[in-house]
Amino acid sequence: MFEALWLIPALPLTGFILLVAGQRWSRRAVAVIGAGSVGAAALVALGLAVRFLVAPPPGHAVSQVLWTWMNVAGLTPRISLYLDALSLTMTVVVTVVGFLIHLYSTACMAEQGEPPGEGYRRFFAYMNLFVASMLVLVLADNLLLLYLGWEGVGVCSYLLIGFWYQDPANGRAAMKAFIVTRVGDTALAVGLFLLFVHLGTLQIQEAMQRAAAQWTPGSTLAVAAAALLLGGAVGKSAQLPLQTWLPDAMAGPTPVSALIHAATMVTAGVYLVARTHVLFELAPAVQLLVAVLGAATLLFAGFSALTQWDLKRVLAYSTISQLGYMFLGLGVGAWSATMFHFVTHAVFKSLLFLAAGVVIARLHEEHNMFRMGGLRRKLPVVFWTFLAGACALTSLPPATAGFSKELILNAAWCSAGPGGPWLYGAGLAGVFLTALYTFRMVFLTFFGPPGDQTAKAFPAGSARRPLLEKAMALPLLVLAAGCLFGGLLEWPAALGGHPFFVKFMSSVFPGAAEECPLATERILSAAAVLATLLGALSAYVLFLRCPGFARALAATPAGAAVHRFWLSGWGFDGLYDRLFVRPLVWVARINQADFIDQMYQGLAQLNVGLHRLLSRTQNGRVRWYAAGLAVGAILLLMMAVFL
Amino acid sequence: MNGGDLLALGPLIALGLTAVVVMLAAAFCRNHRLAVALTLAGLTAAGVALVCAWPLTPRQVTPLLLIDRPALFYTGLMLAAALVVTLLSHGYLEQQPIGRREEYYVLVLTTTLGAGVLAASAHFASFFLGLELLSVSLFALVAYPRTNPLCIEAGIKYLVLAGTSSAFLLFGVGLVYAALGTLDFARLAAAAAGGAAPGLLILAGVSLTLVGIGFKLSLVPFHLWAPDVYQGAPAPVAALVATVSKGAVFALLLRYVGQLPVSQHAALFTMFTVLAIASMFIGNWLALLQQNVKRLLAYSSIAHMGYLLVALLAGGRWAPAAVAVYLTAYFVTTLGAFGVVAVLSPRGRDADAPEDILGLAWRRPWLAGVFTLMLLSLAGIPLTAGFVGKFFVLAAGVNSNLWLLAAALAVNSAIGLFYYLRLIVLLFRQPAPAPAATPPLPRLAAAALGALTLALLWLGVYPAPFLQLIRMLMPD
Repeated sequence: MFEALWLIPALPLTGFILLVAGQRWSRRAVAVIGAGSVGAAALVALGLAVRFLVAPPPGHAVSQVLWTWMNVAGLTPRISLYLDALSLTMTVVVTVVGFLIHLYSTACMAEQGEPPGEGYRRFFAYMNLFVASMLVLVLADNLLLLYLGWEGVGVCSYLLIGFWYQDPANGRAAMKAFIVTRVGDTALAVGLFLLFVHLGTLQIQEAMQRAAAQWTPGSTLAVAAAALLLGGAVGKSAQLPLQTWLPDAMAGPTPVSALIHAATMVTAGVYLVARTHVLFELAPAVQLLVAVLGAATLLFAGFSALTQWDLKRVLAYSTISQLGYMFLGLGVGAWSATMFHFVTHAVFKSLLFLAAGVVIARLHEEHNMFRMGGLRRKLPVVFWTFLAGACALTSLPPATAGFSKELILNAAWCSAGPGGPWLYGAGLAGVFLTALYTFRMVFLTFFGPPGDQTAKAFPAGSARRPLLEKAMALPLLVLAAGCLFGGLLEWPAALGGHPFFVKFMSSVFPGAAEECPLATERILSAAAVLATLLGALSAYVLFLRCPGFARALAATPAGAAVHRFWLSGWGFDGLYDRLFVRPLVWVARINQADFIDQMYQGLAQLNVGLHRLLSRTQNGRVRWYAAGLAVGAILLLMMAVFL
Repeated sequence: MNGGDLLALGPLIALGLTAVVVMLAAAFCRNHRLAVALTLAGLTAAGVALVCAWPLTPRQVTPLLLIDRPALFYTGLMLAAALVVTLLSHGYLEQQPIGRREEYYVLVLTTTLGAGVLAASAHFASFFLGLELLSVSLFALVAYPRTNPLCIEAGIKYLVLAGTSSAFLLFGVGLVYAALGTLDFARLAAAAAGGAAPGLLILAGVSLTLVGIGFKLSLVPFHLWAPDVYQGAPAPVAALVATVSKGAVFALLLRYVGQLPVSQHAALFTMFTVLAIASMFIGNWLALLQQNVKRLLAYSSIAHMGYLLVALLAGGRWAPAAVAVYLTAYFVTTLGAFGVVAVLSPRGRDADAPEDILGLAWRRPWLAGVFTLMLLSLAGIPLTAGFVGKFFVLAAGVNSNLWLLAAALAVNSAIGLFYYLRLIVLLFRQPAPAPAATPPLPRLAAAALGALTLALLWLGVYPAPFLQLIRMLMPD
């Protein structure tokens, strides 16, 4: 049964190859191949998951060696896959959510583009390649193979952000994403070299065992290796200080934002840290840094999300913020809770993106929430599913999925590490902010009087509204159901739940985080619910009940300054532009005609000059040519005589 | 002369007989196809005879000819080249306004015969005989399109200059004979290796023979004829001049000079070093900005002969292998490059102007791909035959500590890359609004180009079986 493991990445890869090779696939064939290959991978993954749960393999892990790439001087990277509870969870999420998003795209992408449906095949080819790379990343048994997947998803992200390449702005956004994550990738690559040099292997499990055996906690090497890996994770997961690319990445089509920039790729950093958690436990300072970065990021992004007017940018900042929660969880050692938050986040955030995609498409590519409004009655399916996603994001009943965040907060409070209460405080403030910006978004988009775009898209006279295609409605409904019931997998013990997920993960993360006393947990949960309700209520008052107050607040000089600051993502773009981009461009410009270049220019000129000179000897006259023969003969004779 | 000798001479006899048969057939029935078919059959028969002769090696047949493995290998290479040239010529001649086409193949066969004699000769007499057989056939071939003044000019230039160089050669042979009283290479080598330094008379004689050889190989400073003749000659004939003629003379040089103690003899060593370095640099410099494709290939072949001399000078066990690998790669790519020019040629002229190949990739993608591969191989880019050849030459040079020559080779590879890439850029540039109409691709030529491309990739990607064959050529 587990022999079928290789099929999981191979199926989407086959889809990619078929789509690239088949120049003349019909629209329907493209849809069937594109979505079908991922669907088949999802079926295989689910089958393996059932088998894994019913009859776990020995050691709760399976490794499948496909072949050895090469054998050079002790470096024998094997192309091998590794399935344990962690990678199984990732695989199931990537394939199932990926399939739903592909299904949605078959309908969504048919209407987009100029002319409609342009680039349909290209889109699904990239998406399939992305899913294949992502699966290689999570299933890799080897850091080198993981790196291949890591770079593969980066390339696909680049290709898909710039999917509408006719607009240069999209190309710029794609390049920004690629270059900024490259900074982190370089750190990761250096980290891999370091691990290989000092541990002598790149096999993940082996390397972790050797690290635990060779390095003492807090030793320089462990800290350096963990910090370098963290650099890669920060870049990929858009955490401070490498977060600037993700809001701009929203230039891609909405399904791309849902799949790559919310559900899967951006969590690769989280996965990397969880996968190499042994290393981070050996470097407590770096682990604390992970938590602090996560806490800072979740607050930073929460404030920025408050001021955005672009629906997709709110979701982008929300993603950064939620990833901040995951980093916070990793930092306090709540590995299982973090992975659970990854699962629920993948479900509710992709739902929010997909629903937002319908809204934007129905309003003729309008992104501005202030021109929407009153969509509640116009798009009921979208409204209710979006609301389910919003409840999950803010962990409000009846959605259960969002309670994963509470688990992380509880772990932060009860963690033995330094600064637990501070981290908890930041997280709690984040809960309030999350509720505030989420319901701001809900109220601005779906409630209130219809905005001008709403009026234009749904004229008062036309009674019939366009139906939502089945292929788009189905993923929304399935994901909404996931939001409502997904949390039951790991219901807080304080509310009489049972930790199924933590049990499942215990084979990967044996030393679980400190258990909180039940009473403490109850108080903490109550505080979180209170913060959420407070945030939702504030949103209701500020943005629905009396929007004039919020506007007046933003109009005061101080308010306007803060608003501008938050809207621009705390000025990071400007800062980096001044700090890195402009000096580099300046240096490049003054170095254009540098000395070394002159040398090569001179060399080229010399060659051209010699060519001109020698060309004169080829004058086409036979007597000159014959004289050449004679001179050559004399030269040879002179050498014979005098040497 | 007994049966074994006849069998050993089989390839040469088959070539000579085919030439006669084709001539007789033309006398009775003028038919272009028939001539081509007979030529191809004759070349194939010579190939079969070559395989039959292989087990008999080495065999001295009369004092003139020594049939050994290198001789048979190079003869086989030249047979293959003649086969390709014949395939290319059929379509090319059909396209051109030439009255009688059948005698052309007789000349191709006699050229190959001359080349085979050169490759096997162990004696100045057979050397001169083979050389003249080769040269005279080529004069006629170069000037074969009689109505084209460019061809006539090239033919006459080649005739006059080749005659001049032959005079030097004969005088050199005379000096050697005067000193030693023999025309045998082996006896000359024995005299040269006989302890005392060879006398001035012998040295002067050898130097003058080098003039004749240098002329045929178009080594600097005997290279001046090459661009004019290549440009004037019809493209398939130019291919013949570049491959069969040069290959045969190089095979002879390998035997002639291989027996002399070149590396111990300062004068001879300096002579060859100067010739090699001058050929590399001057050939590449001349090619640098050359616009005419055939002239450019002529200059490039000057440089390639310079590279080959490095392998020759390296001597030792690896030299014969390096020369064989390099020559094979050079044959494949040069034939391919001239072949593309031949199939592109419209009626009345050759497609050697830059406009003819401008934007070829957009009109004839396959042909442009083949040409690109040939150019990359000439430049010595990995995964092509040219790279393997260059690698062997460089390895041989480095093995023998010829650092100056190895450095010159490396520098010249960089210079050469420039003009090969320049042509490739031309191939892929967007064409002008009205592209020139190109003739349809003849089937035989397409087969030849396809086979050359496959050979190029095969040698470049998986050379092991070929190298196994080459290993049999090396002295044990």
